[in-house]
Amino acid sequence: MVNKIAGMLMLVLLLTGCSTDQRILDKLGMVQTIALDQADGDKLLVTASIPVIDPNAELKREILQAETNSVKEARLVFSRQTDLRMVSGQMRELLFGIDLAEKGLWKYVETQLRDPSVGFSVKLTVVDGKAGELLAAEHKPHADTGRYITHLLEKEAAGNNIPATTLYEFSRDYNDDGIDVIAPIVADGGSKVRVTGIALFAGDRVVMRVPVKEGLIFALCRGNLKRGEAAINLGDTIGKPEVVVFSSVTSKRKVKVHRMQDGRFKVDLYVSLQGSVLDYTGERTLREEKDRHELEKELSLSIEDKAEQLIRQMQQKKTDALGFGQYVRGRLSYKAWKAMDWRETFPEVEVDCRAKVKIKDYGKYM
Amino acid sequence: MNEKIRPFNLAVLVYMSQVGIVVFTLPRTLADYFGTNGWLILIPCFLLSGFNIYLISLVYKLGNGRSVFEIMEQSIPKPLLYPFYMGLTAVWMMFGCVIGKKYVLLFQMLAFPTTNPMLFKLMFDILAFMLITKGIYTISRAATMFFWITAWMYLLLLWVLPDFNWVRLTPFILQGGHNQFKGLLEVYGAFLGYEISILLFPYIDRRKKMMAAIQAGNAYLSVSYINLGLVSFGIFSSDQLKQLLYPLLDILAYIQFPFVERLENLLYGFFMFLVLMTVVMYWWGAVETAGRIVPRLKRQVLAFVLLAITYGISFLPKTIDEIDAWISFLGNITTGVAFGLPVLLITVLLIQKKGEKSGG
Repeated sequence: MVNKIAGMLMLVLLLTGCSTDQRILDKLGMVQTIALDQADGDKLLVTASIPVIDPNAELKREILQAETNSVKEARLVFSRQTDLRMVSGQMRELLFGIDLAEKGLWKYVETQLRDPSVGFSVKLTVVDGKAGELLAAEHKPHADTGRYITHLLEKEAAGNNIPATTLYEFSRDYNDDGIDVIAPIVADGGSKVRVTGIALFAGDRVVMRVPVKEGLIFALCRGNLKRGEAAINLGDTIGKPEVVVFSSVTSKRKVKVHRMQDGRFKVDLYVSLQGSVLDYTGERTLREEKDRHELEKELSLSIEDKAEQLIRQMQQKKTDALGFGQYVRGRLSYKAWKAMDWRETFPEVEVDCRAKVKIKDYGKYM
Repeated sequence: MNEKIRPFNLAVLVYMSQVGIVVFTLPRTLADYFGTNGWLILIPCFLLSGFNIYLISLVYKLGNGRSVFEIMEQSIPKPLLYPFYMGLTAVWMMFGCVIGKKYVLLFQMLAFPTTNPMLFKLMFDILAFMLITKGIYTISRAATMFFWITAWMYLLLLWVLPDFNWVRLTPFILQGGHNQFKGLLEVYGAFLGYEISILLFPYIDRRKKMMAAIQAGNAYLSVSYINLGLVSFGIFSSDQLKQLLYPLLDILAYIQFPFVERLENLLYGFFMFLVLMTVVMYWWGAVETAGRIVPRLKRQVLAFVLLAITYGISFLPKTIDEIDAWISFLGNITTGVAFGLPVLLITVLLIQKKGEKSGG
């Protein structure tokens, strides 16, 4: 008897309980992408893109814009512009204009982390130019620019050339004292959105860009690749560019840290990669084993050279986006590590890159 | 009531009453109080709780499996004993109550921000009430069922494994923490729950290795905690972990499928089974204890009265911070009880043995 009454009571409660938290899909504005730009003064220009669910609607998305002091405040402004209830639970992408990214992003990232309805897998991307304009622009045949960018970056990240950065990775690397944050850069390329490179951060400010053609070199130095693609230019030694196009690149990176006699650190970066050659425009023939070995050597030298150049630039900008600090930390005592300012020490580190290339195969034609 | 709990069910029951709401905050607590590689502190906690269970098994052996209430009532006068029983009842009732309320508040933050949390609390309490009145045998069977419903969730940790990196663990052992003693108490709170097994003596099969089963439950819990700790320290940087209030929720939120993401609302529901069992065991213990004071009163009525009182009290703490303060305060007392009660009982038993010898 007691149980029956309890059961009835529960049913009644279930029916009446959550009326204020009821959510009807048709009445929700599920923000898919948010773009943030620097506006006049210290204000923030927030642009949001909301997919329209109605299949008969001509437009597949709704763009809302507001100038406010905070991202979350913009949500309140938006809800006065639309008949939908704004929710951020299905947000996939955060775009930051380059002006903002050069000034520092952490406070905007932090508000997103605080929101219980925003998950760790939201992607962060830097836009070369105005993020809001890029989001609002039409890029046919893609009806929804926000989703287009998300898919574009997902695909690029799967190819390992340009890493995608999520809220999780941003906050993880920002709060780690041995590595710096990176994020992909996209730009409006007329009818298309183009991925133009990788933004390297010092703290939460963008200080350097790696152009997209050096994306693979950067990716090789930062971590292990599972499925990359690359065109490596060996230079104009024979009067025309000698290019090797690689596919199915897998690579491993190893970092070793030594302390030199003068107290400075020396980082040995070992990169080994394997891949199939799809195309080669030089003088050698791929079928000769000797030629292939020579080519492998040349490729290794070229990668070493480019990597060291890239790292030198990073040292000038004081951004340790490759995470050498994590390995230096491993060689020190806690006290010594805490006493050292890694950002200031990093430029003085001597880096030696050694690459090893293996051509796994060269296709099905001699 | 005639049926006895079997070893496997006992192990599961112990594990289920241990794992509760603390698991959401555990990695953060470890990082905050103990700094780098804070998960290592779980190992001494495991050994400590193992020792505590050893004390409980000593009581079992010395007392020949008698109920702990009988042991105490034989030697300690009732006017002394009743206030002690009342104290135990109050602590266990309230501890269960605040654990339940914390779960409800978190659930509310995630899914139903404006619904009155006390409504959820009421439903939670009704569920718990229905379980408690069914008796410990049914509770142990329900715990086993809930265990199988939730056990697969450890596999979700595999999802974040690609982001695991040994380098993030750093070679530093417990550096950069603060207030370690307070931290230890808080971490140890995550192991609490096994001490209720001291009340189970009359309900277990004396021929089987029941004490080993309690140890096994505790060991399983420790292994899964250490797993969670290690994974958390490997996927989050140490300073990041300090800022995440509920790292486990973030891990769950990171899991995504192509068609849907942010499953944590759904998954959080599964944790109700774990929290419910913890709360039910504490309340069951409290009702058992209170039953010794008023043996004439029907158990159902007693459970109802006690639950109604704590439900009333649970209106008081309104914010998560208040609840946390209550949980750590009551948790400390419960830790004291967990060690104090077996020690007291062993003393009583030794005195009784001595008396028997000199008397006989």
